[in-house]
Amino acid sequence: MQQDNLGYIYRGLFTQTITDSIISLAESNLETTGESSKVKKRVFSIMVECLQNITRHQTVEGEEFNDSSIPGIFMIQRKEDSYFITSGNVVPNVAMPKLRSQLEKINSLQQDELKEYYKQILEDGSISDRGGAGLGLIEMARKSGNKLTFDFASVNSDISYFYLHTAISKELESATPIHVNLDNIKALHQLVNDEDILLVFNGVLNQESLISLLSIIENQMRGRVDIKKKVYNIMVEMLQNIVKHAAKVEEDSLLGNPGIFFISSKNDAYSLCTGNYISSSSVDELQGKLEHVNSLKGEEIELFYSMRLLNFEIDNSKEAGLGVIDLRMKSGNELEYSFSKVNDKVSFFTLQVSLK
Amino acid sequence: MEALYYKKTDDTPSIILDPSSNTFEIAYRSLPEDANGFYEPVLKWLGEFYESAPQKVNFTFFFEYFNTSSAKQIAKILLFLEKLSHKSDVVVLWKYTNNDADMLATGVRYSKSLTLNFEFMPV
Repeated sequence: MQQDNLGYIYRGLFTQTITDSIISLAESNLETTGESSKVKKRVFSIMVECLQNITRHQTVEGEEFNDSSIPGIFMIQRKEDSYFITSGNVVPNVAMPKLRSQLEKINSLQQDELKEYYKQILEDGSISDRGGAGLGLIEMARKSGNKLTFDFASVNSDISYFYLHTAISKELESATPIHVNLDNIKALHQLVNDEDILLVFNGVLNQESLISLLSIIENQMRGRVDIKKKVYNIMVEMLQNIVKHAAKVEEDSLLGNPGIFFISSKNDAYSLCTGNYISSSSVDELQGKLEHVNSLKGEEIELFYSMRLLNFEIDNSKEAGLGVIDLRMKSGNELEYSFSKVNDKVSFFTLQVSLK
Repeated sequence: MEALYYKKTDDTPSIILDPSSNTFEIAYRSLPEDANGFYEPVLKWLGEFYESAPQKVNFTFFFEYFNTSSAKQIAKILLFLEKLSHKSDVVVLWKYTNNDADMLATGVRYSKSLTLNFEFMPV
């Protein structure tokens, strides 16, 4: 939850719209955390290369591998002084040997040699129609200052997951190589697949990141339009609650409020969760509102909503709980929540809304 | 009176308030961070429009989606139209995408709370 723990996991299909939104989401998050522009630029370009790599390998010889039953994964994390970008996507088994040899070649080279190699490939003109001579991979290795970690996991006799992990040290020169075992990543991918988790976001929420998250989910969700719409509605209210009312842990300069959001769709039952800090002094009031809204049944909810909708006397007191009533109404379920005190100033608030 | 035009954005609706062509329409999505601030000039414009309003006013809402803080602002616009209906012939045309039961229900909820002529139209 802290500033040095930016985390984002996307699982699903990678369409142009979705990758664009992932990029703008990461962009606005890097903006809000006050990262130096040099580091930002490197993280950003590695991320773009990585996502382009995914979409490039989705179609091979006219065959579409962008299948929702074998969703890919994309992650960005920040730990202490490094950023980590990981992708896992389906590639045809026939493409594996070439990928492996490209990556082994790249990993055998030093920084200055990489530059030469890059030029050599460009002059060679041996770039395939998909631009796949490994230029993107070379760029990733150059900009990260680290070796590229990779692995494959078989899906069936035709395709495998290709995992690519890039560690980006803040200081390019003094970088000590970071070696990573990708078993954790594979296990995590398995977990989010099993739980049908569409997206995990842990970062700074503001209106801009909200719009990007909405666009990702909107393009990612499959199935009934009315359910999609409900999920969208619920997501806006939950995330805007954080944007507008959440507290910061310290009086820092974040351009937004820290928050966690994840959404899963196990067995077509969507579940949306948020976690954020609120000021400890407002816990009782919020708890009261939630208890009241949960106690309402059937038409009472509708009635309470209409009453609040046209009451402007209480307009300035945090939307008069209209958002919370809406969540209860749209989901048709009671809201699940918890509060835990962090210190006298702030508490951590979690909210779960389930939609069947 | 000068018309008010807003182009739609990712989080704000398109707005046309044009007395010269007698077109009044708010459409698409409304989920601004500060709904109060966004709708303030709209309500101000309507307030000034009141005196010169024509005999017949058709006001169209065709929302794809709006958040709860926009819901309150839309309620303010509808309350204004209710007031206007005492001197002009006001019809609220509530359009919604066919099968969008939630948006229809939202319109019906407003119509029940107000004394105002609503027409519901699936598109």
